[in-house]
Amino acid sequence: MLTPNMHINYWRELTRNNFGKLGLAMLCLVLVIAIFAPFLARYDPGEPSHSILMPPSLAHWLGTNDIGQDIWSRLLCGAKNTLLVALGVGVFTTILSTVIGASAALVGGLYDKILMRVIDALIVIPAFIVIILVAAYVLPNVWTLIFLISILTWQGGARLVRAQTLSLKERMSVYAARTFGANKLYLVIRHIIPDLNPILFAVFIHSATRGVFMEAGLAFLGIADISTVSWGLMMHHALRFYYLDVWKWWLIPTGLALSVTIMALVFIGHAFETAMDPRLREMEQEDWQC
Amino acid sequence: MRKIPEIGTYVIAFLIILVLIFLLPRMMPGDPLTAICGEEVLVEMTPELRTELLHRFALDEPLWRQFFVYLTGIMHGNFGYSYYYNAPVLDIILEALPWTLLLVGTSLLLSTVLSIILGIESGWRRGKISDKSLLTTTMILNGFPNFFIGIILLLFFAVYLGCLPLQGAKTPYSGLAGIDSMLDIARHLVLPLIALTLAQIPGSYLLMRNTMLTTLKEPFVRTAKAKGLSKVAVRYKHAGRNAMLPIVTTTGVRVGIIFTGALFIEIIFSYPGVGLLTYNALFMRDYPILQGVFFIVAVFVILANFVVDLLYRKIDPRIGDANTEYAH
Repeated sequence: MLTPNMHINYWRELTRNNFGKLGLAMLCLVLVIAIFAPFLARYDPGEPSHSILMPPSLAHWLGTNDIGQDIWSRLLCGAKNTLLVALGVGVFTTILSTVIGASAALVGGLYDKILMRVIDALIVIPAFIVIILVAAYVLPNVWTLIFLISILTWQGGARLVRAQTLSLKERMSVYAARTFGANKLYLVIRHIIPDLNPILFAVFIHSATRGVFMEAGLAFLGIADISTVSWGLMMHHALRFYYLDVWKWWLIPTGLALSVTIMALVFIGHAFETAMDPRLREMEQEDWQC
Repeated sequence: MRKIPEIGTYVIAFLIILVLIFLLPRMMPGDPLTAICGEEVLVEMTPELRTELLHRFALDEPLWRQFFVYLTGIMHGNFGYSYYYNAPVLDIILEALPWTLLLVGTSLLLSTVLSIILGIESGWRRGKISDKSLLTTTMILNGFPNFFIGIILLLFFAVYLGCLPLQGAKTPYSGLAGIDSMLDIARHLVLPLIALTLAQIPGSYLLMRNTMLTTLKEPFVRTAKAKGLSKVAVRYKHAGRNAMLPIVTTTGVRVGIIFTGALFIEIIFSYPGVGLLTYNALFMRDYPILQGVFFIVAVFVILANFVVDLLYRKIDPRIGDANTEYAH
């Protein structure tokens, strides 16, 4: 397996890579928008009005939608929802992957065998289609959606964490610590987890990307809490009016905002993996769109 | 002796699918009957129909009996009845499936071939401007969700330029036959196919390029060059062919991704496959259709993975039992 070198400063590698720089800049932009949306928005994003399907004007920079809501304000507020899903799915999936993958590697035996079998089986099943079916029944809000996506997509990350933990277990430093009489818990906390960090960050970025894509996809299919301001849901509504000119300021800007966010995460992930080890590119086999 | 692939994995995957479809509607709060039959059933619900349906799904009996009844139904190819279409689910899905298979099949072929060629050429020219610009383009493309790619193509080619059909899989009531009919179908396929393929290329291209880079460092490539073989032969016959293995192994996973992508692309282009069917079923809360589509797509993807696994062992004899002999 790969051996992330502890002498590499990942942050510096990330900011040295062009993709990394660009990705971080784009992510910061979305983050700033999400934080300052309440101040930047000129209208309440949920407030309907009588001026419907208006073209862009000084009052409404991106016009209004079919129930008279200001599209510019909704676009800004959508950033919060997207980043929340990214963070939520990223954190939760990474935790699940770590606990399951690392425990399989450390416990070993039958427990490991059973888990690996289940993971192999889950990887064969197209996760997004399962999520669509379950979501059709559950009709999730943001939090249940984060839970749902995480609980159904941890398998790829768990396999990576397991492989990495197995190789860390055989490291010289771990052997050395063991000869000094370190117990298992100490080894895990002091030696295994710190060295897992780079791979956990990679799993986090991949999961976050997948989360953003899946949330937008589900909302685009119309499976979303209608009270949330979601870019995918905006595209779902906008597509019904493709025969009018409104797509120019309703559909395209929303799609671009979504794409910029996903692109930022993809760039950061790519730059980080290049810095870490080219062999980690195995992750690309399990495309984040899956 | 070649070991057969771990068939157990595929059996477990299949069982997970079966149990999921069975448990999901029965675990939901509210009436399991609507959750199984879809909300349209309420329109024609009478006390008689209710008792009959309760009996048909054994809902008044313990869970294991219900599972048995459900399994027997699936064995007989009975995937339920859609009260929205007033037809058996299987008939409706089989009518839509060929269009999806056409779209998914052509896209799988096209994206694989393009990714392999682009990956080989890009890896060969590592660091040159052509490699860098291709890498950047695909990275940017990677940021676009498949449905947004579809929307852009639809708006530009069908709405703005108007040079390609906006929706459907063929011109309705055109009375076209033979070659004209095929051309018509091809014209309708162009945009959905391009959208689906563009969304698919970045992942496979990056994989192919990476493997190509590592393969080019292998001693046998140097030998091939030293023998004085032409550059094309070294690139494709020696390095390229060996670098193709990961692309082959990921075919099963990619079939799953393309199927999922097709669901979205079909909606955008109103392409009459299972994706559009799913979309309408989501809207109408027509659960039998959703379950049926889910089952058939999932089984298709599991089978694709299984077949790839089998083929892979044929292509690369190092896998399987022979593994030990080649171990370093």
